[in-house]
Amino acid sequence: MRRITGLSIVLLLVSLLPAQQNIPAHPDELQFRKLDYQPPKRTEYRHELKNGVIVYLAEDHSLPLVNVEMRIRTGSYLDPEGKRGLLNMMANQMRAGGIKGMSAEEFDEELAFLAANISSSIGNFSSTGTASANFLAKDTEKVMELFFEMLRFPRFEQERIDLFKSQVLQNLERRNDRTSSIMSREWDRLMRGDGFWTTKQVTRASIESITRENLIAQHEKYYRPSNFMFAISGDFDSEKMMKLLEKYLSDWPDNGEKVPEVPKPDFVPQPGVYMVNKEDVNQGRVRLGHLGLKRGHPDEFAINLMNDILGGSGFTSRIVSRVRSDEGLAYSAWSRFAFSVYYEGVFSAGFQSKSPSCAQAADIIIEEIKRIQKEPVSEEELETSKNYAIEVLPRYFENARAIVNQFLSDEYTGRPMEYWDTYRENLRKVTLQDIQRVAQKYLHPDRLVILAVGNVNDILAGNPDKPEYSFKKLAGGAEIKMIPLPDPVTMIYPQ
Amino acid sequence: MKNFLIILLLIPLLLSAQEVKVEEYVLDNGMKFLLYPREGSPNIACGWVARVGSVNERPGITGLSHLFEHMMFKGTHVIGTKDYKKDQEIIARLDELKDRIFAEERELQRRFRLGEVDDLKDPKYRSKRHNELLAEFDELLKKQKELIVKDEMDRIYTRAGASGLNAGTSEDWTIYFINVPSNKLELWAWLESDRLMNPVFREFYSERDVVHEERRLRVDSTPTGRFEEEFNAMFWTASPYNWQVIGWPSDLEAITRREAKEYFGINYAPNNIVACLVGDFKINEAKEIINRYFSRLKRNPVEAEPVRTREVEQLAEKRMIAWAETNPKVVIRYHSVADGHRDEPALLLLGSLMNGRTGRLYKSLILEQEVANSASAGQYGLKYAGYFTLSGTAKPGHTPEEVEKALYAEINKFKDEFVGERELQKVKNQWAAGNFRRLESSFYLMFQLLINEAYNGWEQINESPKKIQAVTAEDIQRVAKKYFKKENRAVAVYYTKEGTQEDPMLAGLDEEEKQQVRQFKGMLSQARAEQLKKMLAGFEQRASNAPEEKKDMIKVMKKMVEDRLKALEGGKQ
Repeated sequence: MRRITGLSIVLLLVSLLPAQQNIPAHPDELQFRKLDYQPPKRTEYRHELKNGVIVYLAEDHSLPLVNVEMRIRTGSYLDPEGKRGLLNMMANQMRAGGIKGMSAEEFDEELAFLAANISSSIGNFSSTGTASANFLAKDTEKVMELFFEMLRFPRFEQERIDLFKSQVLQNLERRNDRTSSIMSREWDRLMRGDGFWTTKQVTRASIESITRENLIAQHEKYYRPSNFMFAISGDFDSEKMMKLLEKYLSDWPDNGEKVPEVPKPDFVPQPGVYMVNKEDVNQGRVRLGHLGLKRGHPDEFAINLMNDILGGSGFTSRIVSRVRSDEGLAYSAWSRFAFSVYYEGVFSAGFQSKSPSCAQAADIIIEEIKRIQKEPVSEEELETSKNYAIEVLPRYFENARAIVNQFLSDEYTGRPMEYWDTYRENLRKVTLQDIQRVAQKYLHPDRLVILAVGNVNDILAGNPDKPEYSFKKLAGGAEIKMIPLPDPVTMIYPQ
Repeated sequence: MKNFLIILLLIPLLLSAQEVKVEEYVLDNGMKFLLYPREGSPNIACGWVARVGSVNERPGITGLSHLFEHMMFKGTHVIGTKDYKKDQEIIARLDELKDRIFAEERELQRRFRLGEVDDLKDPKYRSKRHNELLAEFDELLKKQKELIVKDEMDRIYTRAGASGLNAGTSEDWTIYFINVPSNKLELWAWLESDRLMNPVFREFYSERDVVHEERRLRVDSTPTGRFEEEFNAMFWTASPYNWQVIGWPSDLEAITRREAKEYFGINYAPNNIVACLVGDFKINEAKEIINRYFSRLKRNPVEAEPVRTREVEQLAEKRMIAWAETNPKVVIRYHSVADGHRDEPALLLLGSLMNGRTGRLYKSLILEQEVANSASAGQYGLKYAGYFTLSGTAKPGHTPEEVEKALYAEINKFKDEFVGERELQKVKNQWAAGNFRRLESSFYLMFQLLINEAYNGWEQINESPKKIQAVTAEDIQRVAKKYFKKENRAVAVYYTKEGTQEDPMLAGLDEEEKQQVRQFKGMLSQARAEQLKKMLAGFEQRASNAPEEKKDMIKVMKKMVEDRLKALEGGKQ
């Protein structure tokens, strides 16, 4: 180590500096160089095939991998009457049931040997179909061939269908085991009412009635080029990739029929306190809220910041600070103002807490909702919230894959082209007055639906040390409505 | 066996291209930094790991590592308080009061052991003194609250656009991480060196309650959480792996702030910590910042000691039979090897050979024999020991015991026959592709480098892929024979328990009958309408032939079949 290079001299000098030097007393005094960041422009990644299919492309040659993400204009809202679960099963079986030229087993083996991951799915509560492929760049042609075979010519082997049905039916039995699944199911019923597509449940009868012919018919109906969008990132040449896509998509027959729109709910939630009894847990799960707004609302940016301050952004938000840090009543506590793409979303807040302290935590949340309406938030709170939303933007576009996947989702949900270009400006514009105004206008503590799932006796009994909190009080004299657990297989609720 | 050689010669070509070249930088105080700059968006994934986890705990302080992780977010001399001196005074007084409250609680626990107290939480059993102490404690907390700047570290990071601030605790390590914009590396250095240097464990007791809620959330209030805990405790005899990271409930309620401080001094010294940066930064600039901030930390002359208690050799098979709200299933665990052991690559591949859509379990148990609806296997290497686990959910109409038998049959195949060439190459290909996939996200790469470092050195990220590719069919057979022995395993068998709300129809039956009826009801849920109708027809006859004392039970069963049939037919849409 006699020869000292230029680099190590610098390091040597640096290490000789007294350590305490140049360390400000508080991090607020630190100075940072300015980061000049511009989000990627959607138009620069957007391509169109001859038949009008939209493709987002981003080359990234740092690793020998290719990612293909796909959206298909379809969704579980299209399940025919009496066949709830059909679209989900169909998309699953596209991947599981083989392709025209290969049995299910051969198809699986081929992909496994190539170490390629291919998927296809439609969630039972999802308004989109997805498919994806991730593979080594050297196998691009081979895997793309298999991927498009799956999309166009799935074999739907009966044996795999039977297996899938058996798995689904077995899991239906377990629908009342977890408070989390009971909560999301019953909450949705309280918000949307029975009979909406998201509250219609898969049952044994609906699963058993599904046939292979049903799967084939649904596949033909929706899986055609005019319903497709792509985002492809990784180690490929864009021109070649476009040619490859043209090859697979150009001779695909397409009747151009328009896919029905996602239905809109027609239900007014009934405010009040509701409970589901699950005796064998020592922690209750509580959610409260009301209907919200559709995405693209002019106050969206102000509402998002307001909700961040209320309970949307972890430890810096008021609900977490009070329910968790101050009182130690919950591990997770939150609020969420969800803007749905197709219809009014839901504002909700919730937590899990030991049964006796559920009432207290719920009371704190309601108090915080009222407070953000009554008093303006502090400048510091708004500044924190705004700064975060602005500064974190580069994370959304972290790499080629994140960029095109974000744009694919924007395209599918019809977000305006300039959304990200004006995003930070829209945040900066929000004022303290805006926060209070939107809190007053869009939060309705007088119209809350409150749902608790857990050991009802213990939850109602409350904490003997804090008798001032109770669900009786929260119900304001009105009756607390008990929701029974349905039979998990038929989803019939006892009278 | 000739082809094997050729394949082995080819593989290194594929792999050599993606070595992760990390620069190591070690400060005089022993704190090590792993630096990996890479092009991309203007972000840096930052993290550090302390080589300490639940394995370093002892009875009485189980769960402390994890609780401690929570406490590291509660501030320092500068962060989190308006007045450090006053805050310290209050904390000292709080600790004093807490000691006296503990004394009261110990008295309650004594009476609880004698059966004089049935609920430790019920205020009616508290002494007057106890209540006074609690009231005084609450008063002081309120005073302290006025001095506290709530979650200030979170606020500072958030305002700076840093995201994903969090931490995680395992049996063997505790990791702290965040993503910062690339111009804010110095902010990270400021806040992290500060909390390693001068932490203050504020809000200790309310945070302990938060952790207890976390336990309820993850363990107590999930259908199988408590059973998994019990199974784990049964599996390890001597090893401290026998409690889970979350700790035992009684310990969570009793850990003191003083114990946390002691723990910090030993385990969070710079010579027990490694940090890592992955993302958009320059090595020289990073080194300057690191040196300026982290050199302030004082090395602990006492190095943290490795865990002494080694697991003892298991002598006999262990079994747990559980009734839980879950599908009937079986979980099997064999004692195997720690992370980095020379047999680990073969065991990892053995797991891969069993898993997935083309794995042996899916093909055999699910498709061919149709005894299971899902099944999986895998090797888990911890720092001081490890295990290989297999599990499978019985298909309706089949029992966990059938699944168990089928799993053993698969294991035996590995002992009896060499795995095929193509089959072995297939899983090796998947591991090779995985070596690229794991590099995609900077955050994930930072995480892996730190975890690897906490076990057997970050270099393993480059070494273990080569070891995986070098495994032979003989290796697989050898490890199967070595570890998959009856006396080396523990087995958990789960049967389905219906909801604990006692079915009112069961009233009046004795325990044995109840059990039979419950089992019968479980069966019914799998039956189709036609089968139920047939069953009903048979009931009349059976009822008249049955002994008098069984007639009640048969009546109940019949009613169940009728109800079920009604529900099924009514449920048709």
